[in-house]
Amino acid sequence: MSTIQVEVQDLSKSFFDQSRGEVNAVRNVDFECRSGEIFGLLGANGAGKTTTLRMISTVLQPSTGTARVLGHDVLREPVEVRRNLGFYSASTALYPRLTARETLTLFARVNKYPAERTKDRVEETIERFGLGDYAGARIEKLSTGMKQKVSIARTVVHDPPVLIFDEPTVGLDVLNALDLQKGIQELRDDGKTILFSTHIMSEAERLCDRIAIIDKGRIRACDGLEGLRAATSRHYLEDIFVHYVTGNDDTADEPK
Amino acid sequence: MDWTAIRLLYLSELRSALRERSVLINGILIPLLMYPLMMWVMFSAILFVTARTESFASRVEIAGLPAEHRGLLERLEEEGRVDVAEVDALPAAAAAAYRAGIEERLLADDLDAALIFEPAAAGPPGNAAVSLLSNGSSDQSQTARGRLERALSAERSDWLDRIASRHGLEGAEWQVFEVESDNLATGIEMGQFVMGMMIPLFFVIMIANGCLYPAVDSTAGERERNTWETTSTLATRRIHIVAAKYLYVATMGTVAGALNAAAMVLSFRTFLAPLLARMGGGDGSGFAFELPLRSLPVLLLTAVLLGALIGAGMMILAAFARTFKEGQSTVTPLYLLVVFPVVLLNDPSLEFTPPLAAIPVVNVVLLLRQAIAGNLLWLQLGITMLSNAAAIAGCLWLASRVLRVEEVATGAFEGNLFQFLRRQFHPSAR
Repeated sequence: MSTIQVEVQDLSKSFFDQSRGEVNAVRNVDFECRSGEIFGLLGANGAGKTTTLRMISTVLQPSTGTARVLGHDVLREPVEVRRNLGFYSASTALYPRLTARETLTLFARVNKYPAERTKDRVEETIERFGLGDYAGARIEKLSTGMKQKVSIARTVVHDPPVLIFDEPTVGLDVLNALDLQKGIQELRDDGKTILFSTHIMSEAERLCDRIAIIDKGRIRACDGLEGLRAATSRHYLEDIFVHYVTGNDDTADEPK
Repeated sequence: MDWTAIRLLYLSELRSALRERSVLINGILIPLLMYPLMMWVMFSAILFVTARTESFASRVEIAGLPAEHRGLLERLEEEGRVDVAEVDALPAAAAAAYRAGIEERLLADDLDAALIFEPAAAGPPGNAAVSLLSNGSSDQSQTARGRLERALSAERSDWLDRIASRHGLEGAEWQVFEVESDNLATGIEMGQFVMGMMIPLFFVIMIANGCLYPAVDSTAGERERNTWETTSTLATRRIHIVAAKYLYVATMGTVAGALNAAAMVLSFRTFLAPLLARMGGGDGSGFAFELPLRSLPVLLLTAVLLGALIGAGMMILAAFARTFKEGQSTVTPLYLLVVFPVVLLNDPSLEFTPPLAAIPVVNVVLLLRQAIAGNLLWLQLGITMLSNAAAIAGCLWLASRVLRVEEVATGAFEGNLFQFLRRQFHPSAR
């Protein structure tokens, strides 16, 4: 029986923008993720996916509502939340002047992986992601594909039960993107809980066990692909997505 | 406090920094090598110019040399490298025109110096009014003047001796008193005076330099590289991340200051002492550049205090920048604010009073100057430590307030420290 690993309740985020005024980026979002599943947040650019994931990973603080990771509240226990999750996004870069091995060791140790097992864990991660030949090279010298592998390796090196991937395939070529998707599936098979955001329908269709369609800061639907098909009488995820996001007259991104 | 995380992050910042060329250049190489290099260049240049000047053959003209002073020509010959042209005594009517001609030749660089003897109406034979003409804007002319002065002075002294002897007087009877000047300061004290004037000034500049790049790199630079978000997902409190960065910035500033002071003392000993001895014509025992042992802890303490204070100030300002360039321009006013008063403080008569000891940065400079001179003023030392500790605590408190605001931490805040403070006091102002 899978257990609930991530709970998001009534989560909202608003901020002030010089040109747009007060913006409600995320509005009253609720969902849960279970162990061993890939939960997809599917939405267009600016729909609120990244803001939602940043709040769950404690990079941003919610304006209202809350989220819990393994029962730890993002507002009250942010360090425990971060210890239990790995956060990856295209915008989380690596320290250019450290080597891959140094980076992994730093993340394992600061994220409280047991000190006596860190060395073995780092070498095991290097092996798993095929970084062996480059582990001693500075990050700034690596190719984009290799940097991205190191980035994912640093996300998982402390063996967190929950992983967040925010549009991880943005900017990658097809082969690297497929490679990454395969890696994410393997992590799911290892029993990890994975939150995955994308605006690419095929990616969501291929990877996600459940999908939440987010539009203008609100969750419009949340179910497995079959459930979404049944609810909309549409077969393709693209059509399902269009069904949910058209006709909404919310003005979440506009000035109040 | 999560000291393990702070230590790991601190070491990782240091490791990164030491692999960055700009940090190595500004924080280590410049403080360490600039002064030895500068002084070596200065020393070599002065030696070169001196050697060149000494090798010049001086073109000299002497007019109206009395028969009693023919010895002057022998002396000039002994001096060497003096080509003398002699002109007979001139009638009074032609004297003015001759002098004008000489002046013209000196200014045109056709002649280096000239001596014009005009017989005196009274006094023993050989008594004359002597004009020594030269061109102060020419090195060769200055050298010629020096050579003539030395020979003339020796000739005059001999001539007076001869006259006195003719009147039955010995030297001791007519040379009634001699002036003997005696500098009571030891070479070490003179060296400490010079070091006290120069080291504090460059010490502050180098600490500010040492802090600048790390402060900008660890805040604005991190945003520009998109590593801030990566860092903020680490399982430790944000304050620990900031503490590690702050310790790194303060360390780099302190190291730059300490290295600079060591390099300056070494440069003074190696290059400046022999140079001063050579220029003063002494035997090399004039200046001794030695730091009193008890000033070393004060030097280290001042490096730590300044590194901690300037580092904190720079980090607060740089926290509002989103790119490295923006960070540099944000921090530069603080750099100038720190360095400018130090330049004004370079007045040796300024006394280190307790009220001055309460002014951060100023007090550190004056404390250091006193320490180099071997004076430890305990009351001022105590006040200095307290006032700087208070300033550092104030800066850290402000830094924690600033970085607690999500917009600033994530780089979404559009404005600087002053706009931030305005918004804190007037929340409606946006």
